[in-house]
Amino acid sequence: MEKLYKFLKYTFIILWTVFIVAPFLWAISTSFKDFQSVNSKVTYIPWLDFEPTLEGWRVLVKSPARGGVDIVEPYFNSLFVTCTASLISIVLGTLAAYALSRFTFKAGFVRNNDITFFFISQRIMPPIVLSIPFFIFLSTIGLLDSLIGLVVVYIVLLMPIAVWIMVDFFNRVPKELDETALIDGCNPYQAFYKVVLPNSIPGLIVAGMFCIIFGWIDFFFAFILTFTEVQLLPVKVVALNSSITPWWSLSASALISVAPLIIVAFVVERYLSKGNLSGALK
Amino acid sequence: MEYLMAKIELSNISHTYNPNDTNPTYALNPFSMTWENGKRYAILGPSGCGKTTMLNIVSGLVKPSKGKILFDENDVTDLITEERNIAQVFQFPVIYNTMTVYDNLAFPLRCRNFSDQKIEERVKSVSDTLRLSSFLKSPARKLTADQKQLISLGRGLVREDVAGVLMDEPLTVIDPDLKFRLRRNLKEINEQYKTTLVYVTHDQNEAMTFADNIIVMDQGEIVQVGLPKDLFEKPRTTFVGYFIGSPAMNLFNSQILSDNSLKFNNDTIKTRTDLSKIKNKDVKLGIRSEFIKIATDEKENVVSVKVTRVEDLGNYKLITAKMGDFTIKSKVTRETEIPSQDVKLHIPAEKCCVYENNKLI
Repeated sequence: MEKLYKFLKYTFIILWTVFIVAPFLWAISTSFKDFQSVNSKVTYIPWLDFEPTLEGWRVLVKSPARGGVDIVEPYFNSLFVTCTASLISIVLGTLAAYALSRFTFKAGFVRNNDITFFFISQRIMPPIVLSIPFFIFLSTIGLLDSLIGLVVVYIVLLMPIAVWIMVDFFNRVPKELDETALIDGCNPYQAFYKVVLPNSIPGLIVAGMFCIIFGWIDFFFAFILTFTEVQLLPVKVVALNSSITPWWSLSASALISVAPLIIVAFVVERYLSKGNLSGALK
Repeated sequence: MEYLMAKIELSNISHTYNPNDTNPTYALNPFSMTWENGKRYAILGPSGCGKTTMLNIVSGLVKPSKGKILFDENDVTDLITEERNIAQVFQFPVIYNTMTVYDNLAFPLRCRNFSDQKIEERVKSVSDTLRLSSFLKSPARKLTADQKQLISLGRGLVREDVAGVLMDEPLTVIDPDLKFRLRRNLKEINEQYKTTLVYVTHDQNEAMTFADNIIVMDQGEIVQVGLPKDLFEKPRTTFVGYFIGSPAMNLFNSQILSDNSLKFNNDTIKTRTDLSKIKNKDVKLGIRSEFIKIATDEKENVVSVKVTRVEDLGNYKLITAKMGDFTIKSKVTRETEIPSQDVKLHIPAEKCCVYENNKLI
């Protein structure tokens, strides 16, 4: 019985791994092909099935003038916008979430829960609804087609996620922890950053991960709010496509687009597997 | 401003959690009380009677709706917790997960900028008392629940200069054997350092063995403050009589017959209480089961009862008997022979308490 269970377990894990890894292997393989190897017949293994070439990768770093599509600058633009917006969202979102979790606010009929819902409601609306207001807003303040403008928009998109995750997280941190810190001689600010915050690192990591993912993959706003001055990676990757689909360079750009998220996943996984995320409280 | 070892005075304190309602419900009704420096107090009462609210008011976590708190005649009502120099231990362990045991214990001293040498000395002394010395370097989150509670306790005791250590049922999660030892430790600490200790509990044994003075609370009201002996022998209300002691005090509805006697079932019971001024003839007679013995040759205050049950509880026997509609309980020594079902019990007059409207006359 136990053997059967083990057998089924490993079979499932292997199948799942193949399901997850195969597209990556396929993309890696394709990124080293040329027109001939993609279009003639199905090929898998370099050197045996086809002659590998670096052309798909080279195109990505050449300037358009020399027949390339240069995704290096959009790549760093994306990194900058995602990281800056995520960082600001986490800092502001965590502070807001702590306040919403620990203090009672009243403004007319508005209570804490309404404020929290107001944050989340930013994500409930379909992005298309927000596109025109954002466009007018950015063009009014002259930040259309600029990195700062994108950072501002992404903060609006990412902060609700941070608030949402952190409110839930702080609500599960017993308020006796803050009170104990006050009794031990901290002022309320010290209680927050000396005691509550170190205890909230797991929550911060989860919130940070979501911010980075949602910031990094956004295509819609990057597409609508930028033209020529600034371009972000998702837009540029889409722009790679032409009448003859360049599968090789598309694969290569997909791989380097996904790379930062894979790194994030591995970092977070270390925390997850140590049980630091689940067992942080109690 | 810091206060070294203070007398804590609560003056006309009352508190409600819904002050804006037209008819606010009070978690604490107005009261005044003084906690002398260096004594041990126990606050005893059923769940939800306002014990924790009272502690939180003293430590500053809750601002009272009305009234003043004085530490050594200084008004601290508007001071925040951090400035009050009070230590408080909660019912469930609160530890700083990200720190080691040593850092947990040192935290209150670090917040107050003590020297490293002083910190080490204090942490060592406290960890020895609480038997945490061998864990000092381990991360606090790795410890068991009762060890975590010891850390909470340790953080309260590590500061010598506190005005008082408030403990909110701190030993709930600790196993009985260690509980007993810790209670003795707390007593020793109190005697050695003269730290005022206030201990909230709903366990009367804990309160009786721990405190010099017991404060009994019920429904936001302080019912009685006194020595364990007073609470036991002269409970001021029927609630105290019922709440303190095991089994609870015997309470019987009875009528006043004369200036010092009561009608009880069909017998007459003499008391030492002056009943001449009582208008309402319907009163309650209270007597501890410990004081009721099997009658030998007494003439007065003897009642005939029918024994329904005898329980041997190890160190004593508990007799349950019927007498008309009344059930009476008596605690006697193990050796006492119960001759037959029909026995005569003696109710000593000097131990009788008479209650009018549930208040001691």
